Amino acid sequence: MARQWGMVIDLDRCTGCEACVVACHAENNIDTVGEDQAARGRAKHWIRVERYYEGEYPDIKAKFMPVLCQQCAAAPCEPVCPTFASYHTAEGLNGQIYNRCIGTRYCANACPYTVRFFNWFNPVWDEPLNLQFNPDVSIRSVGMMEKCTFCVQRIKAAEIQAEAEKRPLKDGEFAPACVQTCAPKAMVFGDLNDPTSEVARLARSNRATKLLEETGARPQVTYLKRGSWNGAENAENA
Amino acid sequence: MQRRDFLKISAASGAVAALEGCGNPDHKLIQFIPEEDLIPGIATWKPSVCTLCQSACGTQVRVMQGDAEVVRNGQLGLIKMGLAKKIEGNPAHPVSHGKLCPRGHAALQVTYHPDRIKGPMAVTGQRGSGEYQLISWDEALKRLQAQLGPLATAKQKGALLFLTAPLIGQRRTIVEGFAQAFGGSPVEFELFDRSVLEEANLQSFGIAAMPTIDLSHSNYVISFGADFLGTWNSPVAQSVGYGAMRERPGQRGKFVQFETRVSQTGANADEWIACPPGMEGAIALSLAHVILGDKLRPANAAGALGTAIDGWSTGLTEYAPEKTAAQAGISAATITRIAHESASNGPAVVLIGDLATAQTNGLASALAVNALNMLLGSAGKPGGIEFSPTAVAGGATASGRGANGSIRDVVQLINSSVPKALLLYGANPVFATPEAWQVKALLEKVPFIASFGSFVDETSILADLILPDSSPLESWMDGSPEAGTTRMIVNVAPPAMNPIHETRSMPDVLLTIAQQTGGDAAKALPWKSYEDAVKASLAQYQSVKGGSVTATSADDFWSKVQAAGGWWSAEAEPAAIRLGETGTTIRTTTAQFDGDPEQYPFYFLPFPSQMFYDGSLANLPWMQEAPDPMSSAMWGSWVEVNPATAQKLGIAQADLIEVASQHGTVRAPAMISPGIAPNAVAMPIGQGHEHYTRYASGRGANPIAILAPMSTENGALAWGATRVKISKVGVGRLALFGGSFREDEIDREPR
Repeated sequence: MARQWGMVIDLDRCTGCEACVVACHAENNIDTVGEDQAARGRAKHWIRVERYYEGEYPDIKAKFMPVLCQQCAAAPCEPVCPTFASYHTAEGLNGQIYNRCIGTRYCANACPYTVRFFNWFNPVWDEPLNLQFNPDVSIRSVGMMEKCTFCVQRIKAAEIQAEAEKRPLKDGEFAPACVQTCAPKAMVFGDLNDPTSEVARLARSNRATKLLEETGARPQVTYLKRGSWNGAENAENA
Repeated sequence: MQRRDFLKISAASGAVAALEGCGNPDHKLIQFIPEEDLIPGIATWKPSVCTLCQSACGTQVRVMQGDAEVVRNGQLGLIKMGLAKKIEGNPAHPVSHGKLCPRGHAALQVTYHPDRIKGPMAVTGQRGSGEYQLISWDEALKRLQAQLGPLATAKQKGALLFLTAPLIGQRRTIVEGFAQAFGGSPVEFELFDRSVLEEANLQSFGIAAMPTIDLSHSNYVISFGADFLGTWNSPVAQSVGYGAMRERPGQRGKFVQFETRVSQTGANADEWIACPPGMEGAIALSLAHVILGDKLRPANAAGALGTAIDGWSTGLTEYAPEKTAAQAGISAATITRIAHESASNGPAVVLIGDLATAQTNGLASALAVNALNMLLGSAGKPGGIEFSPTAVAGGATASGRGANGSIRDVVQLINSSVPKALLLYGANPVFATPEAWQVKALLEKVPFIASFGSFVDETSILADLILPDSSPLESWMDGSPEAGTTRMIVNVAPPAMNPIHETRSMPDVLLTIAQQTGGDAAKALPWKSYEDAVKASLAQYQSVKGGSVTATSADDFWSKVQAAGGWWSAEAEPAAIRLGETGTTIRTTTAQFDGDPEQYPFYFLPFPSQMFYDGSLANLPWMQEAPDPMSSAMWGSWVEVNPATAQKLGIAQADLIEVASQHGTVRAPAMISPGIAPNAVAMPIGQGHEHYTRYASGRGANPIAILAPMSTENGALAWGATRVKISKVGVGRLALFGGSFREDEIDREPR
């Protein structure tokens, strides 16, 4: 069966530390835009940690939720692209072909999750910060949309390696940068079509939920709700 | 012959391949001989150690071939070299477990920073002008020798002041030995000092070290203000343990946080309880009162730690929940319930740190928490507080020093007898101390100041001579972290890449000066190189059974340990705690605050920034643009104000606020924040640099500058003990990445 890459994010484990946010910048050659452009909403955090408060002080709670491209099976960003720059891959990813993109920004308009980012100008790295570039990831230029790719460069590298070694890919053999660095192990990545994979198992949890499912986008990221503590009986978890 | 020597000779003799560039004879780009045999496009992973905080997480660095434009002996050219591309945690490392915090990833930007000091410099203009000229290493060493040589001969105590960040391993040994040989002492400074907890743990457990918390086996975690999932102690190791604690099948642990402002760590609590600053010790004793009174634990479980606390033997009547509740604004029922829950859902562990220990009663509060841990049965036990065996073995760790109050001893010392020379390495006290301490004015009195740092900052800009160290990725790394694992551990890693600039390893520079000086100095530091010193220090681990590396010979051991990034024991061997007789009676006092509440109605809560830490990382663009976890703010400072308070004072989001203590003022835009008490305001620590590269200079405001000179009982800066008043003075701007603060709001603010 063809692969369907997916993720599970356990909100009970996520601590909101944002290691995933910075790891993604380092892995994917994402430039920083500076204060003025950031104030205009043009920073490009392919993964971000949303934080919501509930209640009023002193009965105040705050919750974290990492949000990244959901690689939707019925992605709203795909039908609106006039050049098919936003398309669906055979392994279930929403791909972005940078040099097809003509910058209408309609995909970002259609995306319910606000995970697509536009390059309003050519990226700038004060030298020698450019020496840090990951050679496996293209540098985007002005006029292109970009977003999380589930570190497709890592997926490709692992697939090529496995094929060269004439063996199947093992579950958990590699991970996108965000998943790899997550200290409380809140993020899990793998093939949802492999019922034995950890991501498929966790996606069946009774805490499982998805973001904005009512839009019909069919996101491939499953979120596990925060647990609770009920005194001596302790609580629900996976 | 070393490659580096070959390279130098090649460049000097012109035996290099010159690239004729595009028919432009003036633009010859010299191609230096490649430094390593790397296959383009194929990565090698090298072990290293992150140095951005005290955790010393083991890392692995992805190194790939690239072309770097470099200057060698004044000649600009291109060199093919191994370049670090990505830092990840080292999966085999007992502290990082293959994970990292956001700062660990950003360490790459230290090496490749555009404003890094590229070679030795001497000041040309006035001291502090920032006007420097590049000089050769020969010239720089000559000048340093000329200043320090006479001090070794004179051996006058106090003549040399060596001010550093807390150091570990042979780096520390060499700095100590050097300082002593030249008539001085090393003084360690860091803003988030560990002296309060180290002192408390010394008194309670006979171990002057930060605790290693076995969170993965904890069932109930109570934290008084400690940002243990963000910046406190060993955050990566603690986050790994926390994740395991949450998802143990059928036994999910509970986490309760007491603090005044919802921190990134506190947001994860099952139960977040607002408590005023300075009351943490009292609440801990109130919990103990209930446990003792309701006989939830054996009466003498806390032993000498308990009886040392005033009133413990008679049941801590002063801390009955009703009394504490009234003072703390917490319900007595809550205190009673939490006491019951923690006592019957062991292992239960209690943590305290950050703002709670940065109070005038911080030490007493920490001792109360230790007694509570003892009472709950978690001291020295799985699921509770343990201590690193390497920290106890001593010598190589930073434990026992680094009290930021030590900088005030320095300041007093300079007042009475000015040293002849000041050496700086990794410490920035001009930025990270209150202006009331007048550190800058006093350091300026020293006639000769030299810095080994990689950047010009508020302190190193006073230097007459700069001899830049290579960055951590370009350096040998060694030493043992004070906390984070109960296995014996020593990190050892060779440089992940060669230096891109003309920098030199600081310990090696010290060894060179010592050898040139001769006499006792040379005897005190007998190694030819820092690498040799590290190798010699490892010999003791070779014969230890059950270690991560076994080898037949010393050389074999040395190469294997380097390849692994260090040596650690296979099993956890937590240090044995020694419950001594503590003679003194501990009284938890009421915290004191600077500023009369009538005129200064708000508690001032500076907080460690997840991105800038103590301000030392504000120079990294990834850290400036990464959104602050609770506010999503980027590239700036802000003042967090409770919504009700803001409404009362007519303050709107992003209004420019002036925050005034009795000792100074700062200005920043208002952040209306639901997570802070109505009678408190908060500011992130880390911005407000006057000098710290293009990304941080002149940006934001520094809350440390206006702090009152209040101290903890043991002389550390009580950075939570200042009161302030606020007023609107104009309109500012916030660069927020996120939209609304609540799920059901829609952010319609035009940007």
